[in-house]
Amino acid sequence: MGAVIEARGLVKTFKSRKGVVRAVDGVSFRAEQGQITGLLGPNGAGKTTTLRMLYTLMRPEAGSILVDGLDPAREPEKVRARLGVLPDARGIYKRLTARENIAYFGRLHGLDEGTIAKRIAILVEKLGMEDFIDRLGEGYSQGQRTKTAIARALIHDPPNVILDEPTNGLDVMTTRSLRDFLRSLRAEGRCVILSTHIMQEVALLCDHIVIIAKGQVVAEGSAEELRAQAGCENLEDAFVRLIGSAEGLSA
Amino acid sequence: MNTVWVVAQKELLDLFRDRRTLLLGLLLGPLLFPVFILGVGGLAAQKARTQLEKTLELPVVHGERAPNLLAFLRSQNIEPKPPPPDPERAIREQDHDVILVIPEDYAEQWRASRPARVELWHDASRQDSQIPVERVAKAVESYARQVGALRLLLRGLDPAVAQPVFAVPRDLSTPEARRGMILAFLPYLLILSAFLGGAYLVIDVTAGERERQSLEPLLATPASREAIMSGKIAAACAFGMLSLLLILGSFKASFWIARSLDAGPFGAVDVSWLAIAKLLLILFPMVLIGTTLLTLISASVKSVKEAQSYMSVLMLLPIIPTIVLLIHPVKNQLWMFAVPFLAQNQAIMNVLRGEPLSLAEWGVCLGSGLALGALFWLLAARLYHREQLAISA
Repeated sequence: MGAVIEARGLVKTFKSRKGVVRAVDGVSFRAEQGQITGLLGPNGAGKTTTLRMLYTLMRPEAGSILVDGLDPAREPEKVRARLGVLPDARGIYKRLTARENIAYFGRLHGLDEGTIAKRIAILVEKLGMEDFIDRLGEGYSQGQRTKTAIARALIHDPPNVILDEPTNGLDVMTTRSLRDFLRSLRAEGRCVILSTHIMQEVALLCDHIVIIAKGQVVAEGSAEELRAQAGCENLEDAFVRLIGSAEGLSA
Repeated sequence: MNTVWVVAQKELLDLFRDRRTLLLGLLLGPLLFPVFILGVGGLAAQKARTQLEKTLELPVVHGERAPNLLAFLRSQNIEPKPPPPDPERAIREQDHDVILVIPEDYAEQWRASRPARVELWHDASRQDSQIPVERVAKAVESYARQVGALRLLLRGLDPAVAQPVFAVPRDLSTPEARRGMILAFLPYLLILSAFLGGAYLVIDVTAGERERQSLEPLLATPASREAIMSGKIAAACAFGMLSLLLILGSFKASFWIARSLDAGPFGAVDVSWLAIAKLLLILFPMVLIGTTLLTLISASVKSVKEAQSYMSVLMLLPIIPTIVLLIHPVKNQLWMFAVPFLAQNQAIMNVLRGEPLSLAEWGVCLGSGLALGALFWLLAARLYHREQLAISA
């Protein structure tokens, strides 16, 4: 079975002081292998909550998920084993080196030491971590922290990759190299899902775009399909028209 | 099981890299507790000795009314001296421990062979004045007995008729038990160290990990939450036992030094390796209870700060049985070994007094402690499955 992530009618509500908030209100989409699927939406649209349900941190109140044909509600461990996750929270252990941080996750995935060493060597090369891999995490730059977090998420060579705002807080150079890295994940035939509120990012990276606003999917398709759907030549104008406002989005 | 080991290993490595915290956590106790116990104990013993032996200066109000009594006091190493202008205030302001007051009718009563009253003024709330007051009271009493005997002889009676019964105290406590009395403080310190010794580590690996945003990625691995939590608990227990071992080792060393210097009342105390092994065994359930309870708290609160605010309450828990026993002393009974804190308190006292624990007492003490630890583990595991656990802010 190929790498596929499917979400159908996901609903998640939170209780707040003002009452019940429907953070995710019937989100459905399908992410194929060998593609980058982008969830685009303003801050607070429900992207992070949707992703958290995909990687079993939260249970949907309604709807269903299939990861490579597996149901996270029934087999959460098996699902997590097939996922590489870069969550919104990406703290690393400051008193461990990047290599120890990554190896720890490898062991939690049940990998043997030989496999871990091999995988780390590959990831260090691909992500450009040579200059800090054996330094303690104290004093890492934002980019070094993100690279370490991505490397530990991919230590087990997962067929599916979920990244929550992967380029958040990174400088231009790091963002560019990270985008190249994400394209290489696609080229390896993985199913990649990322969330972002940066319009340029989806335009540059994503084969399939899912636009989420107020917990609902308002449109989906390739960049061309979305332009046609909104009747705009410019992709940015198309997004704004589809979402209804430009609030919470970045160019 | 493999996950438990991987997590425990990582947590200990992480902790041991944090040198400063580690040194404070591991060495501060072993360095300070012996100084505290030996120092305070030695000071108290020395004070008691000097208070008993040196000449006691006793202000006497209207001493001229009882010259014979004053002469007798002098023979008892108590030196009467003129009173301060306001005796009542002198006691209240702690200028004097005790003042003897001879009332106006003393001589009259004396001559009429009626009980003549003298007053001892003191402040009973001051521990310090206990020994001087006792000394004066005893001296006055023995003066009274002496004069009473003389009066009976004068009337041709055997003084023994006035003393139909008299009690002679015979101390049957073993030397080991007396050692235990000196060490009344030790159980509390040991239980507290076991209960909360690894507290900051426990809070750090759950509440701290969430605050540092590394708990969510950890929970996104296939490792089960119970296994991750158990690994963290195992690391904290190992650390707790190590710190207890160091504390007990430092006690052993300081008792050894005290014996070789022959200083203070601790010269006779011997903490054998067997006793240390027994103490570690008794305290292990305490370490487990503390660790699981703090994990439970850390998993239920929103921040490290909130978890830490429970500490002041938790620090009081181990002292409760000590206080209850102080107010209402009871004999060792089997049910006591089922009550956490009380069980450890009694068991440690037994070991320190050199008295054997029965098999049933061992069983109940360890069994109930481990059962409570397991209960907290189950509750903490339930909290670890809550969705809010991983999400900070």
